[in-house]
Amino acid sequence: MSMDERSVVAEVRRVTLRELRLWVREGWVQPAQGERGPAFDEVDVARIRLLCDLRKEMALPADALPVVLTLIDRLHETRRDLRDLTKALEEQPEEVRRSVVAGFRERRGSSYRTDGGA
Amino acid sequence: MSDDPYEILGVPKTASHDEIKKAYRKLAKALHPDLHPDDAGKKAEFQAVSAAYGLLGDPEKRKRFDAGEIDASGQERPERHYYHQYAGQDAGRRYDPGMGAQEYEDAADFFSDLFGRRSRSGGGDYREAFHTRGPDLRYNLEVDFLDAVRGAKRSVTMPNGKAIEISIPAGVHDGQTLRLRGKGGAGFGEGPPGDALVTIGVLSHPVFTRDGDDIEMELPITLDEAVLGAKVDVPTISGTVSMSVPKGASSGRRLRLKGKGIVRASGKAGDQNVRLKIVLPDRMDGELEELAKRWREHSDFEPRKELRRQT
Repeated sequence: MSMDERSVVAEVRRVTLRELRLWVREGWVQPAQGERGPAFDEVDVARIRLLCDLRKEMALPADALPVVLTLIDRLHETRRDLRDLTKALEEQPEEVRRSVVAGFRERRGSSYRTDGGA
Repeated sequence: MSDDPYEILGVPKTASHDEIKKAYRKLAKALHPDLHPDDAGKKAEFQAVSAAYGLLGDPEKRKRFDAGEIDASGQERPERHYYHQYAGQDAGRRYDPGMGAQEYEDAADFFSDLFGRRSRSGGGDYREAFHTRGPDLRYNLEVDFLDAVRGAKRSVTMPNGKAIEISIPAGVHDGQTLRLRGKGGAGFGEGPPGDALVTIGVLSHPVFTRDGDDIEMELPITLDEAVLGAKVDVPTISGTVSMSVPKGASSGRRLRLKGKGIVRASGKAGDQNVRLKIVLPDRMDGELEELAKRWREHSDFEPRKELRRQT
């Protein structure tokens, strides 16, 4: 799926063409470049909806948006890294998996205790 | 959970418009699915809260709801795909902030290197200075059918204004993405540049279609060519070739032109499959009609015999 600016504005009715262009200029949305202007796919459209939620429904000020976006993006990056690491771990022999899981549990357990005791 | 939008937002029925808005914002901030990617409960709550606000936040709808004209579920919206559902997949990587290395600097070098992949740079001094790989840039390129099957070179202007030369390999598929290493955005510090990701859209052709590496086409022939056999010119993706139509060929018969399909860089080539179609002239001439009448008088050919037997 690939949409131009006008189809995006028609689809996500909460965003105006002006806002959309601003968001692209700020780098908050990064559509592919097409021969006839920017081309948005479903990832971009979902992100535009998220931006509408943040800006309009939650009334987040524009200057706070980059901070929030970076945090959200970093969260997703970390989740993907974690998922990939888990997958790589799943391919390891049973004993390696057990030992890693045990080491992880121990660490997490001890950090919980530290928090609780503080 | 209650169905009553007032209860969902936790406001009295007498609440003012501003009170409703305030209550909604407070809940939305706490419950938004992109802040709780794996929490189905919070997602459901958020949807209920959004629906309730969709109703009460609109003075006109609220009036109608209070008057009992519409019910609380009348405002259901189609299932929305939230950003985190995409961001969790590999396609979401394009929005990674990509400043990972510093965060892992207390980890062993092994892991720092593993997660700080965008920050790897010559000299391994990434702990002192900030270096990161440049962003990937995406481009959607539409190419003609013939350019896609034969391969072509195209020059495009990327989102950062730089022109790059793209070699489209023969046999590229519709929707395929080519990765051009180092042709993306410039890196920061001593970081390397990102890649250019070019997604190819293949336009359709009026004559040729494609099945894997084979090319398919329909070839119109005349009645006499079908009856007597003939040598005819056939267009292929690499130019016109001469082909023999065998004597007595029926419509729908498939002939193969070996090696006239898509030629891969490896040298492996597909075929062109030609489907014959007998076409009569728009206006019948008397001679052809006479011929058909004479033929009908003595012919006992029954092309629909099989059809009758099987139905």
